[in-house]
Amino acid sequence: MGEILQYIHKDGLFHRMHPGTKIFFILVIGIMAILSLSIPFLCALLGVVLVMALAGRILREVLDQMKLILAMSVIFILITLVTMPEGDVLFHLLPGGLLPVTTGALDAGIILTLRFAILIMAFQIFVITTQPRDLVNTLEKMRVPIEYNLMFLIALRFIPTLQIEARKIHEAQLARGYSTGKGFVGRIRSVAPVMVPLVSNALSRANILGITIDMRGYRTRKRTPIREERLNMPDKVFVGVLGFALAAYIAATLLQAIM
Amino acid sequence: MITLEDVSYRYQRGGRDAVSGISLSVSPGECLMITGPSGAGKTTLCMAASGILEHEFGGEKRGRVTILGKDVREYPGLPEIASHVSVVFDDPEAQLIFTTVEEEILSALERSGLSPAEIGQRLASILEITRLAALKDRPPHALSGGQKQRVALAAALALGTDILILDEPTAELDEEGTASIVSVLRDLKAQGKTILLTEHKYSHFRDLVDRLVVMEGGRFRAIGTPSELITDRSVAEIVIPDFSGIRSSFPCRPHEGENPVISVRGLGFLYGDVPALAGVSLDVYPGEFVAIVGENGSGKTTLIKHFIGLLHATRGSVTVDGKDAKVTPVSELAHSVGLVFQNPDHMFFADTVAGEVMFGITNLGIPEPEAVLGEVLSRCRLSGARDLYPRWLSRGERQRLAIACVLAMQPKVIVLDEPTTGLDGKESREVMEILRQLQAEGRAIVMVTHNHEMARECADRVVTMRAGRIVSDTRNGA
Repeated sequence: MGEILQYIHKDGLFHRMHPGTKIFFILVIGIMAILSLSIPFLCALLGVVLVMALAGRILREVLDQMKLILAMSVIFILITLVTMPEGDVLFHLLPGGLLPVTTGALDAGIILTLRFAILIMAFQIFVITTQPRDLVNTLEKMRVPIEYNLMFLIALRFIPTLQIEARKIHEAQLARGYSTGKGFVGRIRSVAPVMVPLVSNALSRANILGITIDMRGYRTRKRTPIREERLNMPDKVFVGVLGFALAAYIAATLLQAIM
Repeated sequence: MITLEDVSYRYQRGGRDAVSGISLSVSPGECLMITGPSGAGKTTLCMAASGILEHEFGGEKRGRVTILGKDVREYPGLPEIASHVSVVFDDPEAQLIFTTVEEEILSALERSGLSPAEIGQRLASILEITRLAALKDRPPHALSGGQKQRVALAAALALGTDILILDEPTAELDEEGTASIVSVLRDLKAQGKTILLTEHKYSHFRDLVDRLVVMEGGRFRAIGTPSELITDRSVAEIVIPDFSGIRSSFPCRPHEGENPVISVRGLGFLYGDVPALAGVSLDVYPGEFVAIVGENGSGKTTLIKHFIGLLHATRGSVTVDGKDAKVTPVSELAHSVGLVFQNPDHMFFADTVAGEVMFGITNLGIPEPEAVLGEVLSRCRLSGARDLYPRWLSRGERQRLAIACVLAMQPKVIVLDEPTTGLDGKESREVMEILRQLQAEGRAIVMVTHNHEMARECADRVVTMRAGRIVSDTRNGA
């Protein structure tokens, strides 16, 4: 089973970087991806993210998300075909002139897909290479309240646990002659035998989890920094490059607007 | 170290007092073990003794609890209590918050006020005492139950407290996992820690326990040194499971000339590319009680999942009641094989016990559902619980309900994975009696367990598995 959104222990470029640097990385890449409307630029940006992943020795893990991204891209393009029939008509998806495929819609769909891919992959790089404890500590330093901080951490931590548990529950119900219902209503109805135990177990666990966090002094005691969390040379270079890229991007966009 | 004076508590959801009029004093360096049936109030006692009840739970509280001579109400909150007492709960999953073993331990250490150098030393010594050094970079979901429980214990030790409270730390563990926890606790006791422990496996902890408390119905049934208590037969049967005479009271029916109800031939199975089963052959006849024993990871659960088509043979064949389990849908095989999973909480979703049992009856279209419901509830000694909410039952009752749910589907074979997890001696015996009775009526019983003694005393046949293979298959003398 594929593990999604989990820290993977390795020794790579990003693993050695300060979490703050990586948060800055996501922000810069994210801003550029969201603001840009140019397909070549987005492709280049995606290329940069992939090269980063390669440099950080985590390309394979990042590419694991390809299936999800491809599925989303089909959905995006279908949505834009229906909702944004602009530009030249290339051909029709259905006979009789129905569902025209237009250049405008294709462009919009591809842009959405590229943005999505860039954001997901950048986030993947961040999550795979950052120990959750470092993340919590950095966010704490950035004055994110510890409650929100731990919420994020626990969400990440329990994804695989819930996956495994959901599978066990599903098997237990199958053994009781449960079958996934037919049709829309049937499907909705057949969710209860799996979801109810899953949620009830998670809730009863949440109580113990809360007590454990409190007993470890997470909300009250001060932390002793163990590792020196300085910005090292690679961090500084990387932040510099990112900052420069962001500045150049904004300048270019403004120039375009003026001209 | 800890005293309880006439403590009573009733949970917000109502019902009777979970603990009632309890007084106890735990001395420094003592190892006190609390045992008794599920639902007796053992966990509530742990919660009370650690101040968690006072600070985290609503409900009705009476009496007084002190930790190191100070009333728990005078501590501002749990974090302050946690510098004297650490608690390990029965569900290790809920106590692992971080994504590697080392992080988990550091998370507690780095808020202990120690210097970085001291933290490094303490980390190394904790990893050593809990035998986790080799696993320090593993994520929690890649650990076995015993390993997870040791990580939870390690994180608790990181707080450096003198008092440790452990609530059924070995409930889900096999012999090896249990032994590893016992040896860690032995070292901690030698270091002078005070240990308060709830457990069912007294025999494993025998040489550690200074004093034993037997609880029943929220009260102390008996308290004293183990040697004093065990002389009382009615107490001993709770503390030490006794399965003697079970087999002879429900004799095995001979099955000459009958066809096996489950027939496994040369079964091989790969998880991904990891072999989990290899060359397994086994016949189970109607009216036979077969125990499958072996350590965690020996392939027991993988094998039984093939009986109902949840897993499909990579090699060889599995025939169930004349049907090829590889091609027959699970819903069809469920008519022949009932599978009771280890954790009953993985199946309960209905609002009442009756609703839970009816789920399988409706799914399979069993005739005369009401009559079947009444019958299985009375067999599993749950007639009085018909309208209760399944999740509020005790572990022993939930286990029996899980059996009732499967029984209601009227299968020819009942397969159970660790049916006595979390049960005391008396409750375990109760489950075994129900199973023997079903077997005497001609059903085949296949029980997976790591309790060798139970397998020997209750089953007609013991199949031992190791590393995905059957290494022995012996018949117990009557």
